[in-house]
Amino acid sequence: MEPIKPEKKAEILRNRPNATPEDIHEYEQLLAQRFTVNPFIQRSPEESAAQQKREARLRELHAKLFE
Amino acid sequence: MTLSVKILQAGATKPANNPYTICIMANPCLETPLQSGSFSRDPILASQGQFNALAAYVIDSLLGKLPGQKEVAFAVPATQFRIVSIFDDSLASGDATCLVGEDSSSNIVVPRQIKFGPLLAKYSIPGVTSLKADVAFAVTGSITHQRCSAWFTADDDFGPGVQFTLDGAVLSHRYKNLHPGTVALHVSAVSLVALHEFGHAASSWTNGSVVDLYVDNNPGLNNKQGRPIPAAFGVMDSVPYPSDPARDGLGYPAGWTSYHAQLNNPAFPAVMDNFWQASTQPEDCEHDRITRQFLLDRIGAIMARP
Repeated sequence: MEPIKPEKKAEILRNRPNATPEDIHEYEQLLAQRFTVNPFIQRSPEESAAQQKREARLRELHAKLFE
Repeated sequence: MTLSVKILQAGATKPANNPYTICIMANPCLETPLQSGSFSRDPILASQGQFNALAAYVIDSLLGKLPGQKEVAFAVPATQFRIVSIFDDSLASGDATCLVGEDSSSNIVVPRQIKFGPLLAKYSIPGVTSLKADVAFAVTGSITHQRCSAWFTADDDFGPGVQFTLDGAVLSHRYKNLHPGTVALHVSAVSLVALHEFGHAASSWTNGSVVDLYVDNNPGLNNKQGRPIPAAFGVMDSVPYPSDPARDGLGYPAGWTSYHAQLNNPAFPAVMDNFWQASTQPEDCEHDRITRQFLLDRIGAIMARP
């Protein structure tokens, strides 16, 4: 996944007073982790639940940082 | 209607006619958003010139020919890659022709990995009736999503390969894949973006995954967890690789538990890290030592397949 440019991070923080560097890092971390979940192996119920939780948190952070 | 299948580089001459193969295709259609089942024609199909320019950029980045590029480890093997570009604006939009989706939680373009093999197989070049890639790029002109991404290769783990050891585990550089490593590359991509995504795609879901280094807690071949950071990062094929105690060029943020392997050039971030944060220019960045050697070994094994 292409990294975010520093100026883009600064722009987010400038335009979103409620956003923090920690929010951006958590958002980036969750996105990056998504690309390490092998879609070709079956998930356990616990893994599926964790995946759903991650996607829900991603939506929250996306709304906070970009919408 | 335009159908253009070009051999941009012939690649190694082999008895089985199976050199390491990279396909670069103009994405026929976009799924918006990803996993919605809603498909539309990709704007890249209106810009064949831009597509051709991006294919040339991908080749330059692999050959180490970007202006000022310091990561040139693949320059020699890449001259033996078969590289094919495909521009076909005659396809109807639909599930089978859609190689890229737009993520609903970001501006990331995401490759639809399982769609690449069957679509590429419909195209031929002289001596090859059905194209098969080791790594495939889908170039998109998405209006709203510009950030590129990749999936690791899905190896054929029931097939042959070259065994290697990684921290005591026996793995294999498999000759063949079930699904190629795939990249969704936006037409605006510049600098090390293509090389970074190639690093992911050329690695493997099951035999060594090269992951992003710019976030914490993202385990992979090149990213481990623990504090204090041990002197030794790992051992690959009996060769020890030291850790990077300082994440040279950037520094580990307080609270991180991730650590990386020693860099080839400690003055700049690794290619798989946030190369945009290089103090000079991104092209000064090089792979860390274990990532570079792993990719060279893996690509070399596939290139030498019988």
